[in-house]
Amino acid sequence: MRTTLIAATLAAALAFSPAEAKDTGLIFVSNEKSHEVWVLDSDFEVVKKIPTSRRPRDMKMNAAQTLLYVACGDDDVIDVIDIETLEIVDQVPTGPSPEVFAFSPDESKMYVSNEEDSMLEVIDMADRIVIHDVPTGAEPEGVIQTPDGSTVYVTSEVSDMVHVVDAEAGVVTDNIIVGTRPRRFVLTPDTNELWVSAELSSEIYVIDRDTNEIKDVLEFLPPGFRPEDVTPVGMALTADGSLGLISLGRANHIAIIDAHTKEVQDYVLVGSRAWSVALTRDESVAVVANGLSDDITLVDMETRRPIRSIPVGRVPHTVVIDD
Amino acid sequence: MRRLIALAALLILPHVALAQEVRLGYLALENDPRYDEDFAYARIPLRPQGDTLTGVELAIEDMKILTDARGLTVSLETARTEPEVLTATAERMIANGARYILLDLPAPDVAGLAEALAGQEVTLLNTTAPEDGLRTACYGNLLHTAASDRMISDAIIQHLVRQKWDEVLVLHGKTDRDAARAASFEQAAARMRVEIAESRAFDLSTNPALREENNIMLLTGGIRDYDVIFIADEYGEYSRYVEYQTALPRPVVGATGLVALEWHWALERYGAPQVNSRFEAMAQDGRRMSWQDWSTWVAARAVLTAYAKAREPGPEGVEAFLRSDKLRLDGSKGVPMSFRSWNGQLRMPILLSTHNAIIDIAPIDGFLHQTNTLDGLGMDEAEFECD
Repeated sequence: MRTTLIAATLAAALAFSPAEAKDTGLIFVSNEKSHEVWVLDSDFEVVKKIPTSRRPRDMKMNAAQTLLYVACGDDDVIDVIDIETLEIVDQVPTGPSPEVFAFSPDESKMYVSNEEDSMLEVIDMADRIVIHDVPTGAEPEGVIQTPDGSTVYVTSEVSDMVHVVDAEAGVVTDNIIVGTRPRRFVLTPDTNELWVSAELSSEIYVIDRDTNEIKDVLEFLPPGFRPEDVTPVGMALTADGSLGLISLGRANHIAIIDAHTKEVQDYVLVGSRAWSVALTRDESVAVVANGLSDDITLVDMETRRPIRSIPVGRVPHTVVIDD
Repeated sequence: MRRLIALAALLILPHVALAQEVRLGYLALENDPRYDEDFAYARIPLRPQGDTLTGVELAIEDMKILTDARGLTVSLETARTEPEVLTATAERMIANGARYILLDLPAPDVAGLAEALAGQEVTLLNTTAPEDGLRTACYGNLLHTAASDRMISDAIIQHLVRQKWDEVLVLHGKTDRDAARAASFEQAAARMRVEIAESRAFDLSTNPALREENNIMLLTGGIRDYDVIFIADEYGEYSRYVEYQTALPRPVVGATGLVALEWHWALERYGAPQVNSRFEAMAQDGRRMSWQDWSTWVAARAVLTAYAKAREPGPEGVEAFLRSDKLRLDGSKGVPMSFRSWNGQLRMPILLSTHNAIIDIAPIDGFLHQTNTLDGLGMDEAEFECD
């Protein structure tokens, strides 16, 4: 009964989300092993399964929200999906095994981590050519660029490091040693912090972007789990920077934390090996991709409860919401 | 100008320790009988023929950016010798500044070295000798990155218990190694209440007088029933003929069929494919990474991680960090690993693999432990006793 009520409220909330021209409300889920991007509508019904190049992983929309870029690791290409027609309309060739990528603020460049040859690749989007390679530690993964375009951060999973790259010069200017197997980033909108998840030391490192110093190391322990079960990967922040959502991997939970005090407010049970988390724009629902149970879990942000889980393709990797 | 220098110093200082030389030793035998190609009949590669030094070189390469950032210069001294001069060679390495020596040696040579070098400023890492006896000998200067026989046995037993295959026919060769492997399997079975229906020795000959031991139908028959066959066969020559010739239609585990290993190329998760492809690119013969390659790689990785991340400076700080729970070593098997304080054994997940698939990874879900589920594999602290 309660669940139905929440679901109904939720559906209503979603139906009234601001009606901008291109906001389709569609939810995109990349599936690494079935080589598809699944598309769900705002009622969480599957509307299309788009076959992609092999091993689709990270996805990003352009700022205009007309195109969805999908890094396909086993075909060395980034597929481009037209959000209106839900067809692949273009491809950007990359180096071997693209995993995670980021756009420059003006979208003229794309930064791609190539986990097979340990490079951060800079691609010119107009000419579709690689204009620069920045050598990184082995298995680079997370990539993010600061909104002012000055700095790109990239993790090396094997070297336990965050490389700080001067975007203009294309060189590493600093290395920040963090915990074991650093994976992903978020940038806080209001406190000038860079957060990085360290999967195997079960920590989030909070780095001051001015000094590149580690300000804080966050640890998590949902009830009934052990520290080594906690393998954080994906993170999301609310637009105002007040709340952080951290997926805890094998601990099968997400943590919801106060992004300023860093205090854990709630642990929410989701699926097996939760590793990507995204918020709808009205921030009423968090969508979590569960890598080992081949489903996504919807979390109601008001009650902080899971609403339901929806089966998707094999090994879901990333969730992107167009709203 | 001065401001620029000050700024540069600010950027670099917090992350760079004092420049330091890190010297690793790698010691193997000129002719290791365990890698003798002549054992492999008909040129079938039953055992890895490669050179585990590649694993050390890969670890140094993998860690280079981190060690560079810490101001560490890593060098490697390699030696392949005859058994008689192992101690002298190791002493030369220590004199040259090696504080850690990686050993790809058979168990008796590992034990001999650990004894001969006791009291010296060196820690040895056993990378390829699985014998339980090396663990219970409790050498203070010895760590192990090869899984022990008992860990391998416990991994298989967990799988059998989960499948409810709880009656086992044990087959073993007549060598000491096969007897030891079978004995550790029987200990692991007893702990989990798995029943051994019978334990039988096999013989490699075709001698008709020994047909009860060399004829697979006879060897696996004449017994009421069992769920599964476990075979201990270090050479691998007998076991490869056992499947599909058994008297009862039962799966075979141990030396063929489902095999428990530290590493297998078919692992698709946890960054393992990238480790495999880096290894294949570096190996001169382009071979796939074997478990021995992995355990050598991870040993070098452990030492370099300790140098790069030790919170206390100096050799004591590095050694203490290496042996502490804070090591949190990443071996691309999905969980952080560290060395057991009671016997120096690296706690790790064990892969249960067929020739081309990972069927499961032990510790298997549901096998719990009061402190760390990895300690369900191998002799646990409470039951462990030094010899």
